[in-house]
Amino acid sequence: MSIYTLIPLLPLGAALTLALFGRRLHGAGHRIVIPAVAGSFLLSIAALREVLANGAIEVSLYRLLDVGRLVVDLGFYIDSLTVLLLLLVTGVSTVVQVYSSRYMIGDARHSRFFGLTALFTAAMTVLVMSSNLLLTFIFWEVMGLCSYLLISHYAERRSAYRAATKVFLVNSIADVGLLLGVILTFHAFGTLNIPEILSMARSGVDNPTHVVTILTLCLFAGAIGKSAQMPAHVWLPLAMEAPTPVSALIHAATMVNAGPFLLVRLSPVIVLSETAMGVIATVGGVTALFAAIVSLTQTDVKRTLAYSTISQLGFMTLLCGVGAFVAAIFHLLAHGFFKAFLFLSTGDVLAATQRHVETPDDGPQRSNGAIFAGALAMSVVPPLVIFSGPYQHLWLSQSFSAANIALWIVGLGTVFFTAMTIAKSAASAFRLGPPGASDGEPRITPALFSAKHVIGVIIALGVLVSLLLLIWRWLAAFLSPAVGVSGEVVADPSTGFSAWILVPIAVAIAGWAVAYVMRGRSPSHKTALWQKRLYVFFLNKGYFDEIYDRYIVRPTINTAGWLWRVIDQGIIDKFIVSMGPSTVNVSRWLWRVIDLGFIDQIVVAVGNRSVGIARRMEQIDRAGTTKSVDGVGRGVDASGHRLQGFQPRTLQHDLLVVVFWLAVALGFFYLIA
Amino acid sequence: MSAIFADHLLSWMIAVPFIGIAALAVVQGRTAILVSALTVTLVEVALAVRLWVGFDSAEQGMQFVERMEWMPTFGIQYAVGVDGISILLVLLTVVLCPLCVLASWNSITTRVRAFMMLILLVEGAMMVVFMALDAFLFFMLWEVTMIPMYFMIVLWGGPDRVAAGLKFVLYSLTGSLFLLVGILGLSLQADTFDIQSLAGVAYSPDSQFWIFLALFLGFSIKLPMLPFHTWLPDAHSEAPTAGSVLLAGVLLKMGGYGFIRFCLPIFPEVSTSFAPFVLWLSIAAILYGGYMALAQSDLKRLVAYSSVSHMGFVTLGIFSFNSEGIEGAILQMVTHGITTGALFLMVGQLYDRTHSRSIADYGGLHQRMPRFVAVLSLFVVASFGLPATSNFIGEFLILVGVSYEHFIFVVLAMGGIVLGAAYMLWMLQRVALGEARTEAARGLTDLSVREMVTVLPLAIAVFGIGIYPGPFLEAMDSTVIYVVEQFEQAGLAIATPN
Repeated sequence: MSIYTLIPLLPLGAALTLALFGRRLHGAGHRIVIPAVAGSFLLSIAALREVLANGAIEVSLYRLLDVGRLVVDLGFYIDSLTVLLLLLVTGVSTVVQVYSSRYMIGDARHSRFFGLTALFTAAMTVLVMSSNLLLTFIFWEVMGLCSYLLISHYAERRSAYRAATKVFLVNSIADVGLLLGVILTFHAFGTLNIPEILSMARSGVDNPTHVVTILTLCLFAGAIGKSAQMPAHVWLPLAMEAPTPVSALIHAATMVNAGPFLLVRLSPVIVLSETAMGVIATVGGVTALFAAIVSLTQTDVKRTLAYSTISQLGFMTLLCGVGAFVAAIFHLLAHGFFKAFLFLSTGDVLAATQRHVETPDDGPQRSNGAIFAGALAMSVVPPLVIFSGPYQHLWLSQSFSAANIALWIVGLGTVFFTAMTIAKSAASAFRLGPPGASDGEPRITPALFSAKHVIGVIIALGVLVSLLLLIWRWLAAFLSPAVGVSGEVVADPSTGFSAWILVPIAVAIAGWAVAYVMRGRSPSHKTALWQKRLYVFFLNKGYFDEIYDRYIVRPTINTAGWLWRVIDQGIIDKFIVSMGPSTVNVSRWLWRVIDLGFIDQIVVAVGNRSVGIARRMEQIDRAGTTKSVDGVGRGVDASGHRLQGFQPRTLQHDLLVVVFWLAVALGFFYLIA
Repeated sequence: MSAIFADHLLSWMIAVPFIGIAALAVVQGRTAILVSALTVTLVEVALAVRLWVGFDSAEQGMQFVERMEWMPTFGIQYAVGVDGISILLVLLTVVLCPLCVLASWNSITTRVRAFMMLILLVEGAMMVVFMALDAFLFFMLWEVTMIPMYFMIVLWGGPDRVAAGLKFVLYSLTGSLFLLVGILGLSLQADTFDIQSLAGVAYSPDSQFWIFLALFLGFSIKLPMLPFHTWLPDAHSEAPTAGSVLLAGVLLKMGGYGFIRFCLPIFPEVSTSFAPFVLWLSIAAILYGGYMALAQSDLKRLVAYSSVSHMGFVTLGIFSFNSEGIEGAILQMVTHGITTGALFLMVGQLYDRTHSRSIADYGGLHQRMPRFVAVLSLFVVASFGLPATSNFIGEFLILVGVSYEHFIFVVLAMGGIVLGAAYMLWMLQRVALGEARTEAARGLTDLSVREMVTVLPLAIAVFGIGIYPGPFLEAMDSTVIYVVEQFEQAGLAIATPN
């Protein structure tokens, strides 16, 4: 046991305490959760120091399974990648909890909220620290459950609980892929221990390429789900039904980051398959572009933010797909800090207006310098980083130049649209002040809300600090032991910036400019029909939800009902139920045909014959005239008469039936023996 | 005194329920009857704890064996013993019975004495079934379990109880008939009823097939496997709560237990040749059961169909013939007993309040019954195998086990897990979330202390096994390895694919 075990255990303990005694805390749950999460943050800093000093830390916990060939030892593996994510997760989580302690005042499910966010944080920390793929999967799912419970926080709201179920189901379908990937990994590598798998992959274990490809794609399916890549991206906007701080947690610190993290964590395996890399890059690129455009058309602030998150995640996935793993992690960190800040600001606005905001074109002016700073950072920094330094080698080194150019276009397109979105939302959404008289009483803002700038500054500082700290050379050197390197290209961190950098910056500035020029304009009668159609298409988010509902969800439920009626009730049950009457019918028929028709006939015939015999004997007897014979004859005669008047169901009759059946049974056994 | 107790622990475990039945006959007064029934079941729990403590998981064979001549002319013995497989099912039975008594505390209003006697009768009979080392003893008590269940359904059941009871008996009798034929066939060839010595006998190839088929049909009707499953939703939904819990929790397990105890060790060759058929049937059961559950509007029926799906996993694991699969299947049987038992208990708690099983009659329970919803959510997520619950461990082991056979089974079985999440969460959504749909649902009271006590041990068990399954897997490990070795010796083990 090491002290770093406490990083997940502190929030986990807090969550458990709240689950058990939450009712008695009377809205003081945050007093337990905040110190716990802050403690994890401090421990993460300690872990960073130790990793910097001594390299990766391995902590083993206990043996979960030891069955046949399957041995699962639970433990933690803390290396440079893990430490960076730990800092992000626990840091953002601490800020979110502090913020929520005000935001959630007076909420009926106060301790439930804090317990679940603590559990959420704990799950994400275990996920990034896990040294075993099964442990990763377990907490991958626990996180899904947390999101389900948090999204259904306002359980009375129809939209909330429907969203919760849908989010969980979309994720669980994707997780089928992940679990399959875990099992495939076990078959391919014979272990689920992540460090062992990575070293095997690095040293080139003789796994056929197609196995690695399938395995990687299965794992990637899980990442598609958690990181809201197409076609599973529909869940992220729905997750907005949760209280706003949860959105900050989901978008910035936990959950969605799991996908890129998994890809980077297993990068030495992924780079073994070019096909898988291509698929990853394509999915990421398409998602990035599509979501960036959709986010431009949305009128709801939170939904705009959701699609911009999807777009950014697509970008990270794209980076993983082209082998720029370090850049992906850098983008992940920058995006995490920025999005947390943006969401908490949105929470302010929403708390002030008590509704989802329709981005107004002419709201009262209330400029927010910090938000513009954040927007600036977001739209410039990632592309700057991605198209610069060592990674342009990776961009240029791909063997298919056409694919390379396509990726360039997708990447730049995403930069362009992201810049537009961010400029637009920053410029318009946050200008909304407290509602006027028409909206009723303005909400009284608790004291700490005014301190949001402090939080904003903290996060902005975080971005800046990470920018300063994680300069290329250092970041690449720090992360390089943790990531795999694609093909023969070896990134040389010492390469400086080149002219290529100007391209993304120019594109981003163009995006801002367009957004500025287009401000206040909505599609009018002047625009062409195809433009309107395109606008409507993206406004409706590509109709993904509708397609899923009509072609997957409804048919499944309807088929289930139909199958139940037709097969279970119609065929099997009808068959079983009809067995009763038909058995009775068969036995009636047997009774008529065999008992009455056959055996009784024999009996009656025997009777008649005996009567005949008796008569004959009587005649003989009369001819012989012997008294004794006469007596016998009379006796037989009497029995003959009795038999003639024989009615079914007497003892003798039954005996005869039994003998008959015995004979049949014996004959049957004789035949089969 | 202690020697009599310690040397005959299993006999005591069998005898205690029957002594309890006799005691109940003289006890007067409703509360006294309930308390004494609870006491008897708790004594049984104490004995089971003693058994678990004394059990040596390193040993391969039967432990605590007791033998006595019964009908020497036919070579029939009273022989009992436990190994790593049966001890878990014994524990499951013993844990569920006191909870059944607690669940019937207020809900059984008529003929309480008779009802408690029936519960104890089922418990005693199940003890023998899981401990029997003699095929005749096994069969006899197998039959006995059916009778109390029938009366529970018919006398205390729901509106359709007579039809459901009849269906249950017809199916069960048909299954028993096959089982009888199979066991007679076995003993005719082997000239013994001793289960352990049945395995080493060389059976003629023809009879092997037919005896296997008869046993297979007998067990698969009980389990139930796919085309024989329609008795289960009816019997489960019409039975009183305790009846449903016993049926789902324990009685279904006799089928899976039979497969592991009879079919696999005695007929490894035939089992192997049957395996593809059974595996596909299991997949069909998993997916079909899930689909059926999606279509249900009746809570108990939904849980019952989910059992069909989960039992599909059990056969899937058993017929993959490796440690992972079989241990997963046994664990799945235990955890299914716990979670489905708990779900039936909770549905029963709702039914006690409103006398409705229809999903449409509820909604918004989270407002009036927060504790109920919290516990229900635990079992719902456990039921579809969320990681960190025992169901996940079972299903994961089964999936790993069957992945040695072919990956297509893994992919399809996972479809069943997704369906499981779908119907369970949809049910939870319609019952617990949103706004109450009926007046009755608006005025409900939350769980009482007794009701919490009924379900909490199961919740602890679900998460306890899910987080630390070590002791349970260890207990069955050596026994399962022994079963698997039979296959490896026969050269039938499935090679590891690469």
